Amino acid sequence: MTLSGSPSGRFLARVGAISWKETLHIRRDPRTLLLALAMPVVMLLLFGYGVSFDVDRIPLAVSDQDRTEASRRLALAFTENHEFQPVGGAEADAADTIFRRHRAQAILVIPQGFEKDLARGGPARAQLLLDAADPVTASQVLNKADAIALSESRRVAAGPGISAAPPLQVKVSSRYNPEARSAVFIVPGLAAYLMAISAVLLTALTVAGEWERGSMEQLFASPVSRLEIVLGKLFPYLIVGLIQLLLVLGVGTNVFDVPILGSPLLVILAGTLFLAGMLGQGLLISVLAKNQLVATQAGSLSSLLPSLLLSGMLVPIDNMPAVLRLISRVVPARYMVDALRQILLKGNGFAQVWPDLLAMLVFAVVIVALATFRFKRRIA
Amino acid sequence: MNAAPSIEAEHLSRRFGQFLAVDDVSFHVEKGEIFGYLGANGAGKSTTIRMLIGLLTPSSGRATVAGHDVASDPEGVKAAIGYMSQKFSLYLDLPVEENLRFFGGAYGLWGKDLQRRADEVLELTGLAEHRKAITGSLPGGIRQRLALGSAVLHRPSIVFLDEPTAGVDPEARRSFWRLIRDLSRGGTTVFVTTHYLDEAEYCRRIGLMVDGRLVALDTPAELKRTWVPDRVLLVRGRNLSAGAASLRGRPGVRAVEPFGAGLHLRVAPEAWTGEAVRSALEASGGEGVSVEVVEPTLEDVFLAVVGRGAEAQAAQEVVP
Repeated sequence: MTLSGSPSGRFLARVGAISWKETLHIRRDPRTLLLALAMPVVMLLLFGYGVSFDVDRIPLAVSDQDRTEASRRLALAFTENHEFQPVGGAEADAADTIFRRHRAQAILVIPQGFEKDLARGGPARAQLLLDAADPVTASQVLNKADAIALSESRRVAAGPGISAAPPLQVKVSSRYNPEARSAVFIVPGLAAYLMAISAVLLTALTVAGEWERGSMEQLFASPVSRLEIVLGKLFPYLIVGLIQLLLVLGVGTNVFDVPILGSPLLVILAGTLFLAGMLGQGLLISVLAKNQLVATQAGSLSSLLPSLLLSGMLVPIDNMPAVLRLISRVVPARYMVDALRQILLKGNGFAQVWPDLLAMLVFAVVIVALATFRFKRRIA
Repeated sequence: MNAAPSIEAEHLSRRFGQFLAVDDVSFHVEKGEIFGYLGANGAGKSTTIRMLIGLLTPSSGRATVAGHDVASDPEGVKAAIGYMSQKFSLYLDLPVEENLRFFGGAYGLWGKDLQRRADEVLELTGLAEHRKAITGSLPGGIRQRLALGSAVLHRPSIVFLDEPTAGVDPEARRSFWRLIRDLSRGGTTVFVTTHYLDEAEYCRRIGLMVDGRLVALDTPAELKRTWVPDRVLLVRGRNLSAGAASLRGRPGVRAVEPFGAGLHLRVAPEAWTGEAVRSALEASGGEGVSVEVVEPTLEDVFLAVVGRGAEAQAAQEVVP
């Protein structure tokens, strides 16, 4: 007989043969590989620099109806630290026009009698109108305005003749991302997002391609089992995915100073479990789709949207409606984002991260089993 | 190895919805035999192969291949056979050598065994000089040899070849068939489908499929005797027209047709010899007459079989 070795030896030989063949396919197609490896870096740089939630130089129009020293002092307080950028005067009733034309993000309205009220020691009121079309930015603008108003009222209160301390002092101290930099927040999310897309797409394409070429029939006519095909296909793309993860983290730490406080090994473990699930998802899609076009569309939709919207990468899960919170429980990216943030930013270890790891493991096992099972039923 | 037939099919049928693709087919193939399976596209050749290699379960009937039942032990069948599919056999973006190594690996070969066997097959198929070439860059004929090599790398006792020479030039087809005969001499059973009738002459026995049914099964020579009983004569000479007219309608003469400058005659073999035809033509003024007995081709057989199949079907429709 020519079949050498034990059954487990043959199993390894077959899985190895498929993995090696897949590796050669990847090597023969450097464009795909380049895309898979360059895309994360480019996306990270774009997101890191471009998509910033830190706002400054907010365009501010001032409608000063008091025209006194006190009113000018207040307007100056807003702009002197470059947090707001003066874009000129405005009439209060022109707010709609200003916002619609994007001339300013905020309008400071100082009513007539501002200085008098202040001198009398009574509450002097000014009004800030905000373009809240983008609520994330708006809430940050509001925070800054609050801070400026507070420090300004403190300054006025501390002025000559009045010695009372401000009634309330608020001091916010934020931890884990003390400067509230977007990059630190976004890198773990982006890592999960990018791995999800390319893992799902790459496997969906490779298996669908095998159907299209007709080579799947040739494989089914050999003693190679479905599980061996599945495992053999997953392995090389797992490696590609892990390289992506390391690239994203490398750029994150070096360019955006994202800390890695926890164990890098734990990061790799989380990445492996997450990738296994994503690759399985790509496989399931290609088993069902059987052609590359449909597989591409289903693959990008099913990986991109949930990873972007339901993972907590951009929108905190706690802020979602109950239905979406429930759905997010079956989105593996949610666990990956959480695990990465815990490990990287808090330095948490296995003792804290294991629920995330377990969730990703369960997803991976279920989806690979499902893919293998559906695989079997499509022939015969 | 046992001396039992390599392939036994009994009343094998496969239905796709209302369509009966293979209809009650029975045959057996001896060990080491080259068995040709002929038929038009859609006659049920590929469906039969797919049942025999364990890819498709029969709707009824049974078949054993290399001692394994195709319905209950398809995995046993798969490990024992090699298969070259009609549509695909190779990864075109990989080098020749890597295709061989992959298919060897798929059958559980690895390490030194795999390397040695791959080298042997490269030698056998005459592809050693192309081992590093990208498969897609090679001409079709060479790719077919490589595909056959991939199918026999694990030394299967039976190979199934589904239209292996489709779209390949005649010279490449001849060298491909030399390989098939080498395999058969080495004891490998070859089950091959084709629609090239000249190739079928290389087979020891031929099964003819028409509309899902196996309507004829025998050696090429026996098929010709059974299905084309007339003697075909090729006549050359001058002034043949008067003789041709006189031969028409005489007992035992089935057809007289002009063929180039000469004549094509079909006659009953018991009534006419070549010599008798020559004297008859010379008696009517023919000059320099030569008569040659022409072997009927498998094409004549095929046309006769298909014609008979159509008649049988017409009869069935009249008397349900």
